[in-house]
Amino acid sequence: MARVGIQALREMRRARRRRAYEEIDWIDAVYRVYVIALFSALGTSFVSGLVGGRPVTPTELSGALDFGPAVGGLVVAGAIAAGLRSGGRGGPLVLLPADVSIVLLAPISRAVALRGIAIRQLRFSGFLGTVVGMIAGNLAAQRLPGAYLPWVISGGVAGLITGLAYTGSALVACGLRAGRRLAGLIAAGVLGWSIADLLGRTATSPATFAGRVAMLPMHGLGTPVLALILLGLPLAGLGFVGGTSLEAARRQAGLAAQLRFAVTMQDVRTVILLRRQLSAEGPRRRPWLRVSGPARRGPVWRRDWQGVLRWPAPRIVRVLVLGAAAGVAASAAWEGTPVLVALAGLALLVAALDAVEGLAQEDDHPTMSGLLPHGSGWLTLRHLAVPMIVVMGVAVVGVAVGAALAPAGVAGVLGIGLVAAIPATVGAVIGAALSVRGGAAINPLEVGPFGSVLAVARIVGPPLLALIGVVPLAVARIAVDAHQPALAAAAPVAVGAVLVSLAVGAAVLLREA
Amino acid sequence: MAEPILQTIDLVATYGDHVALERLNYRVRPGSRVALVGPNGAGKSTFLRLAAGLLEPSGGEVTIGGHPAGSIEARRLTSYLPDTPSMYDDLSLNEHLEYVARLHGETAWEDRAADLLDRLGLTERGGDPPGGFSKGMRQKASIALAFVRPFSLLLADEPFDGLDPRSREALDLLVAEAAGGGAAVILATHHLDIVERASRCLAIDEGEVVYDGPPDTPEVARLVGSR
Repeated sequence: MARVGIQALREMRRARRRRAYEEIDWIDAVYRVYVIALFSALGTSFVSGLVGGRPVTPTELSGALDFGPAVGGLVVAGAIAAGLRSGGRGGPLVLLPADVSIVLLAPISRAVALRGIAIRQLRFSGFLGTVVGMIAGNLAAQRLPGAYLPWVISGGVAGLITGLAYTGSALVACGLRAGRRLAGLIAAGVLGWSIADLLGRTATSPATFAGRVAMLPMHGLGTPVLALILLGLPLAGLGFVGGTSLEAARRQAGLAAQLRFAVTMQDVRTVILLRRQLSAEGPRRRPWLRVSGPARRGPVWRRDWQGVLRWPAPRIVRVLVLGAAAGVAASAAWEGTPVLVALAGLALLVAALDAVEGLAQEDDHPTMSGLLPHGSGWLTLRHLAVPMIVVMGVAVVGVAVGAALAPAGVAGVLGIGLVAAIPATVGAVIGAALSVRGGAAINPLEVGPFGSVLAVARIVGPPLLALIGVVPLAVARIAVDAHQPALAAAAPVAVGAVLVSLAVGAAVLLREA
Repeated sequence: MAEPILQTIDLVATYGDHVALERLNYRVRPGSRVALVGPNGAGKSTFLRLAAGLLEPSGGEVTIGGHPAGSIEARRLTSYLPDTPSMYDDLSLNEHLEYVARLHGETAWEDRAADLLDRLGLTERGGDPPGGFSKGMRQKASIALAFVRPFSLLLADEPFDGLDPRSREALDLLVAEAAGGGAAVILATHHLDIVERASRCLAIDEGEVVYDGPPDTPEVARLVGSR
């Protein structure tokens, strides 16, 4: 009986695949591949040009040699930790709801039924890791000694290992039903091991060995071979996949289907809500602090703080990590890789998407706000105050991290950082508010060329505002290179960036509905 | 007396702090037709999902034919008809029927599938993907999938909801035939007429059994009517 069932499973999957291929418009597909390849090549070439900057100094080279593998290892450890957390929650397999109710309830081995899906997921994460690794290798080749091709290849291999380790660790954790707590503890251990390697300038963790793979052109072959240990994770994951909890798979299946649709429609707000459901990230029952005293500053101010003070710990950690990441990116941009300034802006935008929760909730529950004796502009304006303060705090974390990393010392960078933090905060918050208001970017009711323009504006607008917000930092750096006073150069640009963000915000957000 | 096809021993289900089922001890014998009643959130769907192996108990156990619920042996014996049908967008109803039957080791499925489609009024739609069906049609398609394969225990979560009178009759007859053939059937429902056709009624409220006995008593009428 089981043999008939497994044969049916294989035949039906083959038939469904064949049908999917038959439905592909090949001319359209080839055109899309051509366009993506063309833009990727142009983008890579453009980014490479931006990165070009100045070559590393001997001090920086020595730092790259000493810390490069451990920093790379920390990235790999972060991917493994994220995989473990995802597996602890029941991920990472993305099944169709029908797969759960039809295939996984049939009397055939769940390991056999799930292995094909797990391999597909491993293939995708491996591919994604390879692409990201190759891009990172390309960036490294612009400034570090060594030939271009070895950097790209070693980056790609390290990315491949990272991608496979991410999904592999998730498969192991969900197959063994590690649970959130145990998976979280192991994830903390993995991260701690890599941090110890970083601080002690040692290479003991397999993640650090994977970091060394990325640095092969500088370090040469040796201990990096030990990174192959990490390939045990996907293999073990395939072995344990049959133990995946059906309850978790069913929950993930339903949410993942909605998530896919929301991504297709570029509906950022729905993506955020579904992602929170997938990671079971609900607000705390008890707030960290109670907002007490009379509501002198108004109900919206008070309501928004009440929401922020109910943030669960993972959200607080994520937002702080984003602030630190913005600081690291800004520091790297300051030290000679200008393109990374964009990463700082985007990190703040992602943090701001959490901070504008109160505003987003108004769109989620329009009846409540629609019954107020005020226009939507009145409400929107008041909902921006708390996010500005929260994101400013996140940006200050970034400034502190950037200042700590500055070789020239804290004092020189702190002033520039704080001046740059203001437009970056305003750009990120207004960008995030634009993202979460008004539903999906792609609205089927808005047809024709005007609809397409609106869709592009909604997709491109928020990151563009976040990028405008970090322009003053780039201007300050250019001024330093030209031996001009950085603060004097950055300040007017900062004012201009704030005005642009406010003007866009006023034009779009404060319109009365 | 025949061995129970379903048995729960001190079955507990919790969602965080919420107790959905509290130490449930229950047996269902082959050929019996059990109506599972209770208000919304009482624990009916949780009980059915535990028996189907979709959920795992927080405590105690559920066995199907002596095997733990969710094991390959238990899955072979159990057919589950969910409250929300899940079907593939890229398969026709006929292909679904073939797939499900063969996954359960059935090689001679065509006649059974054709009969089910005919009785449920779906013959004309067999070649269409269920993605384009109305809610009632999807429910009927889901019923056909539950009955196209052999089973000893049918777990149905509010299967009569959304059906037209003719389809309700057809489903009622299919259930009666299954029970007559020796399969046990557990139906979660809010409809008194369906409860009265069962051989037994089990009422759950806030995770606890509040009634277990014949289906045609004033107590049952009160429980079903009080929701």
